[in-house]
Amino acid sequence: MIYFLLLANKQGKIRLSKWYQNFTKKQKTKLQKEVVSLCLSRSQRSCNFIEWNDYKIIYRRYASLYFMICCDTEDNELIGLEIIHHFVEILDKYFGSVCELDIIFNFQKAYNVLDEVIIDGKLQDSSKKSILRSVGTQDFLILNAPETGTLNL
Amino acid sequence: MSIKLHDLITKVRESSTTSGIREIISEECVQIRNAFRKEDTKNRPRNISKLIYIDFLGFPTDFGQLECLKLIAHPSYVCKRIGYLGLSVLLTENEEVLFMSTNIIRTDLASENKFIVALALSSLGNIGSVEMLRDLAPEVEKLLKSQTAYIRKKAALAAIRTIRFVPETVDRYVGRVKSLLSDKNHGVVVGGLQLLIEILKIEPKTISEFRKLVPGLLRMLKSLVDAGYAPEYDFEGVTDPFLQVFILRLLRILGKDSKKYSNQMIDLLTQVGTSSGLNKNVENCILYESVSTILTIESPNRLRVTAINTLSKFLSGKDNNMKYIALNTLLKGVNKDSKSLKRHRKVIVKCLRDKDISIRRRALDLVFGIMNKKNVKELTQELLDCLPKAEHDFRFDITAKVCTAIEKFSPDDQWQIDTLVQVLTIGGQYIRDDVIAIMTHVTGRNQELQYYASKKLYNSLLDDRYRNQKFIQVAAWVIGEFGDILLKKSIEENESIDPSQIIDLCQIIITSSRNEDLTKYFILNTLIKLSTRIEGFNETIKEIIKPFMKHVNIEIQQRACEYFRLFEDKELLVFSFDRIPVKDDNMEAQEIETVQETTNENSTKNTKVQENINQQLSHNDNQKSQGTGMKIMGGNNVITQNKTQQPSSIENLLQLDFNSNNNNQNVNKQTTNIQNTQSNQSTEDFLSDIFGTNNNPNSNNTQNVQNTKIQNVMGILGTENGMGTGTGMGRGTGMGRGTGMGTGMGMGRGMGMGTGMGTGMGRGTGMGTGRGNVNTPKKNPSAIIYNQDGLKIQMNFKLVSVNGIPAAMVQTIFTNSTPTPMTNLIFQVAVPKHLQVQMAPPSSKIIPGNNTGKVTQTFRVIKKQNIKTKLTMMTRIQYKFNGMPVSKQQEVKNLPLIF
Repeated sequence: MIYFLLLANKQGKIRLSKWYQNFTKKQKTKLQKEVVSLCLSRSQRSCNFIEWNDYKIIYRRYASLYFMICCDTEDNELIGLEIIHHFVEILDKYFGSVCELDIIFNFQKAYNVLDEVIIDGKLQDSSKKSILRSVGTQDFLILNAPETGTLNL
Repeated sequence: MSIKLHDLITKVRESSTTSGIREIISEECVQIRNAFRKEDTKNRPRNISKLIYIDFLGFPTDFGQLECLKLIAHPSYVCKRIGYLGLSVLLTENEEVLFMSTNIIRTDLASENKFIVALALSSLGNIGSVEMLRDLAPEVEKLLKSQTAYIRKKAALAAIRTIRFVPETVDRYVGRVKSLLSDKNHGVVVGGLQLLIEILKIEPKTISEFRKLVPGLLRMLKSLVDAGYAPEYDFEGVTDPFLQVFILRLLRILGKDSKKYSNQMIDLLTQVGTSSGLNKNVENCILYESVSTILTIESPNRLRVTAINTLSKFLSGKDNNMKYIALNTLLKGVNKDSKSLKRHRKVIVKCLRDKDISIRRRALDLVFGIMNKKNVKELTQELLDCLPKAEHDFRFDITAKVCTAIEKFSPDDQWQIDTLVQVLTIGGQYIRDDVIAIMTHVTGRNQELQYYASKKLYNSLLDDRYRNQKFIQVAAWVIGEFGDILLKKSIEENESIDPSQIIDLCQIIITSSRNEDLTKYFILNTLIKLSTRIEGFNETIKEIIKPFMKHVNIEIQQRACEYFRLFEDKELLVFSFDRIPVKDDNMEAQEIETVQETTNENSTKNTKVQENINQQLSHNDNQKSQGTGMKIMGGNNVITQNKTQQPSSIENLLQLDFNSNNNNQNVNKQTTNIQNTQSNQSTEDFLSDIFGTNNNPNSNNTQNVQNTKIQNVMGILGTENGMGTGTGMGRGTGMGRGTGMGTGMGMGRGMGMGTGMGTGMGRGTGMGTGRGNVNTPKKNPSAIIYNQDGLKIQMNFKLVSVNGIPAAMVQTIFTNSTPTPMTNLIFQVAVPKHLQVQMAPPSSKIIPGNNTGKVTQTFRVIKKQNIKTKLTMMTRIQYKFNGMPVSKQQEVKNLPLIF
């Protein structure tokens, strides 16, 4: 079970955060800070798991971006890493070699992809293709919707 | 004019300062607010998008919450998508507004557009609150049967959240989950597996039913393992590792504690657990999960050995992740297979020195896990070796483990002491507080050890008196406690120690400003104990203590004053600082609890004493309380021999009397309570006897003086033991030494408590005497509970409130109509379990004859729970009439008091 997912850059700036447990805004800010600083302070050769309170942080670095998830201690850490990788690969295919800027400017899309990968901290589908297909269809729907012309985000 | 989201982001990114960003955002917020006010529907999606971004930057966005609802209520998919995103980002905190979305979500769940249904399901699954989930559970259930796999998989996950938050809905899904598992779509199966795992977690009863699924699950797993290249689900050559891992996890739950189903799994698990190459993370995932499963279910030994070997392969590899996992999993398998683990000990110990803290922590746990009497010496040494290099936090963990190892696995006593001293030397400041308790425990057994420990600590303190505070404290305690043994034995061994050297050392430490106050308490205690153990140093010790009577720390000051005064009464001094008896292991835990529960600043000294004993006993189970009682009595007997003329062992008297006379169901409870009262009384007895021997110039005012005196003694005892308890040591001390000590211990919870008590007692004087004199107003109910043989006992009741719970203050008046006075009066009260009684001492022990005077004794009955109750009690009156002891006991019912 994933309790929250964070995406931060090397400087510790949060780029994406998704919470599957109810926290107040204050708690969120505090937890974010704590977890991000924990992950950033790790050396590259350390393992990708941190024991943190009664939870476990599983993180993985992709270029300048850190993906972090907070899990139960008894969860399979390796599959946690694999879920992160799964998400990253889907983002990569979706944006076409994803970079930090893609996520900054298209955070809604990134959230939308995340909602297709994980719901309530649980993995939703193991097929990248099927996820990309449904995300693609949704984008197509939006592009062709009569309101889109006036929407102009 | 509203700008685009993209432009806003660019603008913010271009601004270099935070104040610049704040300006841009506040300007933008004004615009957005205006747009909302004008019901600008056209720009609403854009504004909400911007708000999500603004929220992300950490600015308040509360004003946009209702707009999100308007967006999700909009029929178009485009608006809904932004609205739902806004809902999940902006509104998770505000459950009321969130709840308003329930009906919109309900409509969307019924939508014909599968993407709209998906939006609603994701949203419900991610942020649904308890009420929403409960309301929408039927809809989610319906969607599990949807035609579209896309909807089914999302519904499965929404169902997980539903049962997670509203467990009573679990029945809805128990019947549905099977069909999900046989779905063709992997996504749906993944969802179904996770749903089933969650169901089993919430409703473990269903496990036997779901065990029937095992063959099907095994077939599914086998087809995945054997499958060739499957483009849709290929992960670096492995077919759907997620699905495999979830199946293995489910098998683990189903196979646990079931030999039959475990057997079915063995073949496939052997195949999965022995395959694969250790190179790819995907492969390792499955291997790891299967190893966990093998170690959890009822698998045969050979399979377990294979699993452990796989883990050790992980352990010896270079990948830190694998090391971590191996250590973590080995710990789970450690109980059953420590033999096969032995071979890997070296590798595990090596991990203790890894650079990565995560790995070191796991290694520490595992090292502790494989520890036993045979290897404890070696492993503890390893732990101690890595202590100096460890990080601050980690040192606490290491010392804690070492201490536990010393307690649990010690092969011989001397090693225990050596190791304790070693860990104190190198990691004293990181050690947990009850190290003294361990020391007490270790040294309690025989004199040889006491000598060995005191010599060792003394010598190392002599070598370097700038050791860490914990070390000094432990050394001070040991030297104080066993100073005489140290001297005596050292002479026998021709290494004689000069006693004045010990005292000098104490003086140097206590006067040094680099030592903490806590250390000084210990040294004060050491000194006072040494004064009773070594001849001829009383004056020197007095001189050392004297300046501390004006010390700035009130605790030190009080202690010094009390000790100084104690020199006046040699016998009491010796008694008070007698050596602690050997500790009884079973009592340890109980007493710590007792000590911690003791608070109540307002009660007087005596009620406090009473309360402590009460709590102590009533919180123990019966057997334990007997044990405690025995202990108290044991101590008392010593006193009896020395000081008082208590007829016989109180313990006997109580137990036999009550067991034979009382048919009440509550016998044991009452006995306990009576014991409490009894022990309290006898405390007073012995104390007053002590002071009775004093030359008291003011005989008219005996009671008051006695009170004060008792308080003094109690103060001292309280402090002494408070101190001990603070370090976890006083347990043995207090309990063994007699009631006074026992209670004193209860009071002095720690250093702070000790001080509190000192003052609290002072207050007790006024209250104790005051209460005796003040007559209860006549309005309050009263009853005559006893009127026989010329003795009349009247009770006046008054309702008071203790911490908001009503309590009864009972003033008991004894009058004597016979011409002969009644002496040695002891009045005791026992109440049912849900009540608690706190006794004050009687105004006198003698009831004068011919109704010429009366004796009053006040007690308070407190309810443990705030339930209306009728006061009933068991009373016992003992007195001497014409030199003959009289003892009567009776149940007092129908009292005119409900509270």
